[in-house]
Amino acid sequence: MIEVRSLRKTYPGGVEAVRGIDFDVGPGEVFGLLGPNGAGKSTTIGMLTTTIRPTAGTATLDGLDVSRDPLAARRASSVVFQEAVVDRGLTGRRHLDLHARLWGVEQRQATQRIDDVTAALGLGTLIDRMVGSYSGGERRRLELARALVSRPRVLFLDEPTVGLDPLIRHELLDLIAGLKSREELTTLVTTHYLDEAERLCDRLAIMHDGLIVALGTPAELKEQLGRELLELRIDGDAPAALAVLRDRGIARDDAFLVGSTVTVPLNGHASSEVMAAVGELRLATSVISRPPTLDDVYLRLTGGRLAEAA
Amino acid sequence: MLTATLNPLMVLSRRRFQLTVRTPRELLVPLVTPLLFALVIAPALKTALHTDTSYEAFVAIGTVGLLVPLNTMFSGLSVIVDREQGAQRELLAAPVPRSLLVLANLLVALAITGLQVAVLIAAAAARGIHFDASTGGVLWFLGATSLLGVGMYGLAEILAAKVPKQEEYIARVPAVAIVPWFLAGSLFPISAMPTALTWVAKFLPLTHALAVMRYGLLGDAAGLHNIWGSVDPAGAAALSLTVTAFFAVALTIASVRIFTRSAVR
Repeated sequence: MIEVRSLRKTYPGGVEAVRGIDFDVGPGEVFGLLGPNGAGKSTTIGMLTTTIRPTAGTATLDGLDVSRDPLAARRASSVVFQEAVVDRGLTGRRHLDLHARLWGVEQRQATQRIDDVTAALGLGTLIDRMVGSYSGGERRRLELARALVSRPRVLFLDEPTVGLDPLIRHELLDLIAGLKSREELTTLVTTHYLDEAERLCDRLAIMHDGLIVALGTPAELKEQLGRELLELRIDGDAPAALAVLRDRGIARDDAFLVGSTVTVPLNGHASSEVMAAVGELRLATSVISRPPTLDDVYLRLTGGRLAEAA
Repeated sequence: MLTATLNPLMVLSRRRFQLTVRTPRELLVPLVTPLLFALVIAPALKTALHTDTSYEAFVAIGTVGLLVPLNTMFSGLSVIVDREQGAQRELLAAPVPRSLLVLANLLVALAITGLQVAVLIAAAAARGIHFDASTGGVLWFLGATSLLGVGMYGLAEILAAKVPKQEEYIARVPAVAIVPWFLAGSLFPISAMPTALTWVAKFLPLTHALAVMRYGLLGDAAGLHNIWGSVDPAGAAALSLTVTAFFAVALTIASVRIFTRSAVR
């Protein structure tokens, strides 16, 4: 449904936002693009939605080339943008109607679909209010409803829950997760919330500095770090501690450092054995053993940039 | 094909109209200054300078040359609002040619400008200012006013595409909408200015539009004579209308291109 080949974007001034990426998204699949700010996720969505012109490479949506046939590609897709993209002086219903009309939905069909999405997304009491009076979460739900009115074959969600409070975020995630039952809908979602990606996505690509550095199902990505790892809190020179662990053969190249925490995949070694070796070195104030999470995969591949940004 | 273009154009125009009427300031503010000129300042000047009643009519038409640029420039402001706080990105992701976004805004700007010009002329007539208009004359007037509106809106779109912030845009409005008005024979004939400025005025589309408007609504060909010399009035009006049309077409094409390029990075 989505095919991306050697896609590249260099902005005027020479900033290489996307440096040649390839991926496919199958029909009905929910595909996540993960990465820290500046990794190239939004630029990728911009190129797929034809609001950013690719410098090189190709991208197709349902067989439609976004550069050669942008109108048809746009007709097949809808977007929920990262920031508010609404007219505050129009009602929610008018937003949905406007989208339906621009995407060529017949008036009678549009009315029915608006009623359907309004009910499905719990917008019944809001829909005839001016959007300027909506809360952040309400506005997000409206934007999602708007994107669904045209029954797109491809839905782009660009950081859909960013800036929302935890309760509203979870409510919205429930709604987005509910979209998975729509077999005709292929979804590409960008996020830097890893729990969100793990919950929603069938497959993930992790982007870093404009490149895809890992791609697979959440389970496949976690398998890269084995079944168990150690997390060491270092009180002192953490890079030096990691170097010592590597020198002693306790940590390998896949061990990584974020702030004062060193994470060491066990790669089949018994945790008790490695914990004992670490204990002898007296480097860590605490050591815990746990299975790897998507956060570990992400932090290892992106060099902890998210943690630094936060 | 035509329906496929007209339907989204109407949908986009309706959106722009609904947003515009929700901000009455956009409708009223551009009207205030021209009304003041037509109804208060012109009669006061007539009395002070001991001119005859035709001067009031001369200035009334001259204020149309202020109203059209002011209103179209205000309409251009909404493009920045759309981009900064509105739904422009959703519209850019819609399966419609992006030129329609500009043309839809243009249609609404023209409709509102037309309404305001009608209010201005009606108010001037109610104040006792006499217009000597035949059907043909009204057509000359409407042609010049519409083409001036189209060209000025194109300029507003270009400015809105180039200027990132509303306050920067507003700071440029006087240079675009008001300075040419003083030079274009709005309050006095261009022949009353120093020769160099008269030549500058001859190159302003507003000068041509105002001369055609006065020819149409007052039967006054003096403005056309000041531009073209001893060409017959109808021929001179056609020439000035052509200049205004060229201005309108060129600015519209440029505005569509610049909008499309600036909207897609």
